[in-house]
Amino acid sequence: MARFVLAVAIAIALVFPLVFSGAFYERVAALTLLYAIAASAWNLIGGYAGQVSVGHVVFFGCGAYGAAVAYSEWGLPPIAGLPLGVGAAVLLAALVGVPTLRLSGHYFTMATVALAELIRILVGNVPVLGAAVGLMGPAVPRSVWDLSFTSSLPYYYLFLAVLAGLLLFTWWMERSRMGFYLRAIKGSERAARSLGIPVGRYKLYALMLSAGFTAVAGALYLVMVGFVDPDSGVGILLSVKMLIMAALGGAGTLFGPLIGALILVPLEEISNSLLGGQGSGVTFVVYGGIILLIAVFQPGGILAMVAGWWRKS
Amino acid sequence: MLIEARGVTMRFGGFTAVDAVDLDVAEGRITGLIGPNGAGKSTFFNCLAGDYRPSAGSIRFAGREIAGLTPESHARLGMARTYQVPHTFTDMSVGDNVMVGAFLRHRRTADARRAADAVLERTGLAGQARHRASSLGTAGRKRLEIARALATEPKVLLLDEALAGLTATEIQAAITLVRDIHRSGITIVIVEHIMEVILSLADRVTVFHHGRIISQGTPGEVTGDPKVVEAYLGRSLERQRQRAAEASG
Repeated sequence: MARFVLAVAIAIALVFPLVFSGAFYERVAALTLLYAIAASAWNLIGGYAGQVSVGHVVFFGCGAYGAAVAYSEWGLPPIAGLPLGVGAAVLLAALVGVPTLRLSGHYFTMATVALAELIRILVGNVPVLGAAVGLMGPAVPRSVWDLSFTSSLPYYYLFLAVLAGLLLFTWWMERSRMGFYLRAIKGSERAARSLGIPVGRYKLYALMLSAGFTAVAGALYLVMVGFVDPDSGVGILLSVKMLIMAALGGAGTLFGPLIGALILVPLEEISNSLLGGQGSGVTFVVYGGIILLIAVFQPGGILAMVAGWWRKS
Repeated sequence: MLIEARGVTMRFGGFTAVDAVDLDVAEGRITGLIGPNGAGKSTFFNCLAGDYRPSAGSIRFAGREIAGLTPESHARLGMARTYQVPHTFTDMSVGDNVMVGAFLRHRRTADARRAADAVLERTGLAGQARHRASSLGTAGRKRLEIARALATEPKVLLLDEALAGLTATEIQAAITLVRDIHRSGITIVIVEHIMEVILSLADRVTVFHHGRIISQGTPGEVTGDPKVVEAYLGRSLERQRQRAAEASG
């Protein structure tokens, strides 16, 4: 049954943009996958290991700015900046993780918020990173390596491939010692340590992995959108989005973040297009409402709810 | 001696919870630590298990100094523990809880699964392996903690009030399990305040009072020791009667 559902989902994912063609649909579909990548990356530390970060946009920013700098500084295709962005994100995760992961629960979360805001202000004052104005990708494609397309369709399939890779990795991790250890840490750090788990080290590994994949999403974002500034690249709202998508679908589950993205991204894009420029504030209100609903009614997210129905029927 | 504790002291601010305790645990024995509430037995136990770093003193395990090592190093060296209030991984299945312990000695998932299945069988949890751990009651969770600890393949198992809060039948089942584990060659240290349990299980009993050891010996010797009776019941009845007689006379 589960295999059948998965096969159908993959088939739909492959043909969806061909059936629902049109610039708007294609763009929303591509963005949905992009956010699903970011939320799934967040899920490694926030979901499986239970260390809720609201600073993940910093790693996203590493990827986006890495790609942007590759073009603005060295004239390379933006995607060539991906290793730089991922490297920077992993390094930053290691530096930040050692002191902050010692904090437990809400204190870790608060530290990540502070860090993200600090970095946002910092980025807004660094000329190489475009300061407050931001950085642009190539305006017209110079070669196919610029990955600059007028249609969103190529991005859709690129993102689909990356997401599939990330979910495959996550699936493998879930079944490995690392997956068991992260869930144990989420359950009780004290018990985890008594069973021989080097808790600090595993949390750090998870944060570094999560940061690296989040940076991939950031680089892909720049490749598609072609522009990044402190608000879009390291603004706190994006951190919150990753968290809410994962929590809505089911944090610490393989497909939870994807399901969250499938619901929230179209919702946001539609409300933005209906309300125009004035709509951006509404997003905050909607997210606030969703946080409230999840917290009160279904802390396990949609997948836990469906699993509950499944067991009853 | 498998465990040799010398001068173990644990202070919390100005309060000395454990005061220069010496204790030997012989390999292959069941050693009981008892004492009234607040006697320091649990604090001492936590020093043994590595949850607390003693303020002073030395603890040698199989000839190696372990005082101040992390709980995870204790586990790696072959010391496993359970908690008075079970720390169950409630989001995971019963079987997966035990897998977490098994991964300490088996890196590969298939090997860990096999080791965990053997432990589940042995502890009588095989039937519930696929259930969510949150579906277990107190007795089940305590049993699961023992299973999880056993899966780390320890030399010594430290049980912290493994039987507290259980019904009489559950206690009998748990005692059978502990005996069975002991027969397989694992040394056991058990903290307990239910006297009957300790007396029927332990080879050797150590009695704590006010952070010190006031009596050591076989269960028979310890229960006959007036100091122990006094620690548990306050002043002995005999002396109270004497006082009453003096007062009226």
